[in-house]
Amino acid sequence: MEDIFEPIVKAENLKKTFALSRKQQRVEKTQLTHKVAVNGLSFSAYRGEIYGLLGPNGAGKTTTLRILSTLIRPDEGDAYLMGHSVRKEPQKVRDCIGFLTSELKLEGFFTPDYLFDFFGAMHGVEKEVLAERKRELFSRFGIDAFSQVRVRDLSTGMKQKVSLVISIVHDPDVVIFDEPTNGLDVLTAKVVTDFLVELKRMGKSILLSTHIFSLVEKLCDRVGIIIDGKMIEDGPLADLCGGKSLEDKFFEIYYGLRGEVV
Amino acid sequence: MKLVALIKKEFHRFFHDPRLVFTIILPGLLIFLIYNVIGSFVGTTEKYQYKVYVAGESSLTEVVKATVEASGSTVEFVPIGEEEGKAAVKDEKASALLVFSGNFDAAAEGGSVEIWYNGSAESSAFYNLASAVLRESAMRFSVTGHSFVTGQDLAKSFIANLLPFLVVTFVFSACMSVTLESVAGEKERGTLSTILATSVKRSHIALGKIIPLSCIAAIGAASSFLGVVFSLPKLIGADLGALGGYGFGSYALLLLLIMSYVPLIVSVIASVSTLSRSVKEASGYTSVVMILVMLISILSMFLTQLGDWVIAVPVLNAVVYMGKILGGELLVWQSLLAVGANLLYTALLVWLIAKMLSSERIMFGK
Repeated sequence: MEDIFEPIVKAENLKKTFALSRKQQRVEKTQLTHKVAVNGLSFSAYRGEIYGLLGPNGAGKTTTLRILSTLIRPDEGDAYLMGHSVRKEPQKVRDCIGFLTSELKLEGFFTPDYLFDFFGAMHGVEKEVLAERKRELFSRFGIDAFSQVRVRDLSTGMKQKVSLVISIVHDPDVVIFDEPTNGLDVLTAKVVTDFLVELKRMGKSILLSTHIFSLVEKLCDRVGIIIDGKMIEDGPLADLCGGKSLEDKFFEIYYGLRGEVV
Repeated sequence: MKLVALIKKEFHRFFHDPRLVFTIILPGLLIFLIYNVIGSFVGTTEKYQYKVYVAGESSLTEVVKATVEASGSTVEFVPIGEEEGKAAVKDEKASALLVFSGNFDAAAEGGSVEIWYNGSAESSAFYNLASAVLRESAMRFSVTGHSFVTGQDLAKSFIANLLPFLVVTFVFSACMSVTLESVAGEKERGTLSTILATSVKRSHIALGKIIPLSCIAAIGAASSFLGVVFSLPKLIGADLGALGGYGFGSYALLLLLIMSYVPLIVSVIASVSTLSRSVKEASGYTSVVMILVMLISILSMFLTQLGDWVIAVPVLNAVVYMGKILGGELLVWQSLLAVGANLLYTALLVWLIAKMLSSERIMFGK
């Protein structure tokens, strides 16, 4: 029997360093040839919860999520998703996760119907299962009406819905979402947040990164505050804030680290 | 199943977009139109080892020999009967036949020298050289050239020289038009990283690009090829009968050479596209590769006596053996080895693309 307290996602001492190009050195005004994007990061996320990685731009959120989704490899440490190591079993990890960003990355030429089938095949979903899943998800998220319209002809909200539904075509246990509402208008952002709530209702574990306090307060069960590649605070939202607003708590931590008064 | 889905997606993308189909067929139509208006020949300067039959006698052969050797070639004069010599030249067993009239050197005037030659590049080169020397040295004699060259020979010579270059260039253009968008375009738009986040193997993604794109590019190349073939009558006044002069084996080898060259070029462009950050960047790099390919194929038109080592040189092997087959030589094992070499290079490039797809530095610019 599965232990419900066993973490679905477990990151252990993750470290990732990137070489800086001359151009990046000029932009960041540094002589350093390397930048530590993630520095000894550890945290856990559990079944059925929404875990938020909160931090400013450049804190290492996207790098962390890319490591967890096996798009890049950590230099040190390891992470386990559903018990599979991102280092040793990247294929198995990809089978049990859905990864997406707020940027729409679907080919505009194809229809939602075609792309759903295509990505189903990419994940090795059986045809019969795929047909049933398409019927269920398209109906649940209102995609039936435009399933045969090319993606390039859809509104941003519709495209986002398609993108979201395709990310769970293979019924993953974990959904990793990098900056889910970044750059979206209020209507599309609502589509996304409603979708995440629905996913949670469906029993999925969700890991998201954001720098928007209200999104974390609205959606997340637990939160990890990440600054300069390090996990500064990690825990249930209420415990972490201790009666303060998340925004106040964050800046208290942030300026505290830099020796400044809030 | 995943590989099949990747392949079907590329075909679906192409064949359901009339504009893409049109752009791949268009070059063939344009070539047909343009080549019906203009045409050009390219000559060759090559060093040869001539074997020349001589009917009759004259010390002028020594003058010809000295001139030939001064040009870097060598010549061996072999005495022979006139009719026997003509037959040998006609069958391309000798470069040429010189027929001196009786008592040529002693005659004060009225003597004649005839030069019989055939349609091969070697024979034509000797005729040009020898006729110039003889006309210069023997002003009091008539010098007459007789060619066994037929209209069909001319057409074959033209086809053997120019068609491989054109095929190589058209195939490259066709490969470029479909591959850049499919690989660099997907990378630029980020849709490739969406596929990378699934559990499909990187080698399947690479193959899922190369196989369908090669098929599509082959259609484009065929369109361009047909454009050339059907414009030949207007271009050089040769009829299509020249192409009918080849046997099934020649056509099969030509097809194999072209079909092995297509995936090779698609793989090269796909590699460059995978390395590039945008379609624009990939276009720039690919243009450089295209110039190199064109240079190699143009050079091969001048270097007609390359050894079998060209089998191992991509592009050059296709051009050289296509030229030889079109010139009437059926070099089966060399052509098959060239096909094998091209497929081997393609496999290596597919492996390389799969490696690049796994590289975070290349795929995500870190």
